[in-house]
Amino acid sequence: MNPLELTLGIMTAVGGFVDISELVFAAKAGSQFGYALIWVFAFSTIGIIVFSEMSGRVAAVAKQPVFNLMRHRLGLKLGLITLAASIVSNLITCAAELGGVSLILNYLTGAPYMLMAIVMTAALIASIWVLPFKWIERVYGLLGLFMIIFAAALIAIHPPWDKIAGGFVPQIPHGLSTKELLVFAYFVVAIISAVMFPYEVYFYSSGGIEEEWGLKDLLTNRITSIVGMGLGSLLGIAILSSSAQLFGPANVSPEIPGTAALEAAIPFGKWGLIVALLGMFFAVAGAAVETCLANAYSIAQFFGWIWGRHKKPWEAPRFTLTWVALFLLALAIVLTGVDVMVLVEFAILFSILVLPLTYLPLLLLSGDRKYMGQYVNGSTAKTLGWLYFGVITLAAIAALPLYFLTSGGNG
Amino acid sequence: MTPDSRIKLVSELLDLPLYDTDGLYCGVVDDVELEGKPGKDLKLKALLIGPGAYVGRMPSWAMVLVRLVAGERVTRVPMDQVSSIGPAIHLKCPGRNYGLHRSEDRARAWIPHTGAL
Amino acid sequence: MLRKPLLLALMVAGCSKGPQADLQYIEQARSLGAEWALVNEQASQGKLTKTYVSSMHEWLRDQLQSSATSLTQPNSRYGEEIRALLQQPDDALPEQLRVHSNALKQIEDQLESA
Repeated sequence: MNPLELTLGIMTAVGGFVDISELVFAAKAGSQFGYALIWVFAFSTIGIIVFSEMSGRVAAVAKQPVFNLMRHRLGLKLGLITLAASIVSNLITCAAELGGVSLILNYLTGAPYMLMAIVMTAALIASIWVLPFKWIERVYGLLGLFMIIFAAALIAIHPPWDKIAGGFVPQIPHGLSTKELLVFAYFVVAIISAVMFPYEVYFYSSGGIEEEWGLKDLLTNRITSIVGMGLGSLLGIAILSSSAQLFGPANVSPEIPGTAALEAAIPFGKWGLIVALLGMFFAVAGAAVETCLANAYSIAQFFGWIWGRHKKPWEAPRFTLTWVALFLLALAIVLTGVDVMVLVEFAILFSILVLPLTYLPLLLLSGDRKYMGQYVNGSTAKTLGWLYFGVITLAAIAALPLYFLTSGGNG
Repeated sequence: MTPDSRIKLVSELLDLPLYDTDGLYCGVVDDVELEGKPGKDLKLKALLIGPGAYVGRMPSWAMVLVRLVAGERVTRVPMDQVSSIGPAIHLKCPGRNYGLHRSEDRARAWIPHTGAL
Repeated sequence: MLRKPLLLALMVAGCSKGPQADLQYIEQARSLGAEWALVNEQASQGKLTKTYVSSMHEWLRDQLQSSATSLTQPNSRYGEEIRALLQQPDDALPEQLRVHSNALKQIEDQLESA
């Protein structure tokens, strides 16, 4: 195990954890329910750690990405259904991330939003074209570490640490009306969806193949998943907690993504604001890249095309054309003028509906000795995996009714 | 496993990746061609690679989506060109002999060959 | 024969209009007004860049306009409060913005307890 590689991997995971959906829902959750939803963040993080570790292990042991094996294990029909569902979910998520990063550029530069959407699409395509895979991940992940300003901002505002600690205990706040209870339930589902987005697992697994992981990388995979994502989730919890402290009492329930940056501006002034916006920019841009590539990986792997960014773009031509086309499709969605917050809502909704389809094949594959040999799921992974599968299935069933009953969490 | 031994079609052949003698990835086994008569052993005659081979394995409405994304090309590779079957299928010849890289070559014409580090 | 389905249709139509249907827009406008006040408050303390403030004003106003046009009862008291917010200059005093935001909060609380 190379300590430098491990450290860079962890830092990349930390900086790349928060995306536009987590940013929006963490800020809203804190302002509306105080610290009462911290436990959902923590609970969901354990879930994404479990499944990320599984997907990395599958890549390292079977040396094939999840979608390849999924088709073999589940058959063509179910594989195609999963592919179709994940394409839709990831495309909407990519559009939300692209819209989000364009918005952040508008806050930073004042340049028109739609123009920034076009500029960002070109910049993201160029970055994936030019950079080798490892550096695509690292650039966005490491620069996303500017997000640490949100953790520093939380410390600077001297929050009630006892209440934050209490937020880690599973709870439903007392005295909520029926309507508020439904909104709380919607936020639980939304946070689970935002933290456990399907694209994360596909990207992580394919990334493991791109980096030629083998048995020697199993420990790296485990540590990166646990430590990287665990620390990354603290950033989401910091955003939630600052919002509880600053926005809740001010009757602010952030309706636009830019409001979250005030959490760093209030204690640190202009430089805090700029660092926060830069962190948001790189984190959300990284998420746009991951969602696009995750979709391209899935399509290429399913249809048996040459794939991977470890190859030059012209060495994997159909894969290259696919991710470029997906970015352009995401841009087209943004250019319709649909509000970024609406895109975020739909991304969350579609993702939670698709989550059981995403995680079941992974659970079956990582538990199958035929593919995994002695590295099959142990009792902890098996127990946690099936527990979380049960939870996300329940969340998927509840998602649509809760969305309509609460007008998308707006009450 | 050798190509002339008994094989479980679904778990040991279908949807497995295919590699040629140059070590190049050639796609996935999308379907198989069989020959035989009632009361006789079924023999594998050829591998079918390409989205057009899904026709026998998918409802027609799903083929609309498949055609839109991946086309409907089918490439036939005779079983006598298969050298081994395991976690992946390995061929005895270059994939180009059977046009297995044709679609990638066509797509390559659209990609500038420059700019990547 | 047609009475029951007609009554049901009327009930459904009735539920989709009026203050309860507008509650989500009242909440949005309340928050947008409060966000606007917070931005102006921080700007007056020199904690924000001019570019950020200008962008936030544009987006907040855009969202407020969207809330206003979505109301099923635009001539209600809450409709007036939202219009009053929209009439404020970009650099309005935070206290002035909070007057309207707090008024919307009161209406929101009344509707929620009804």
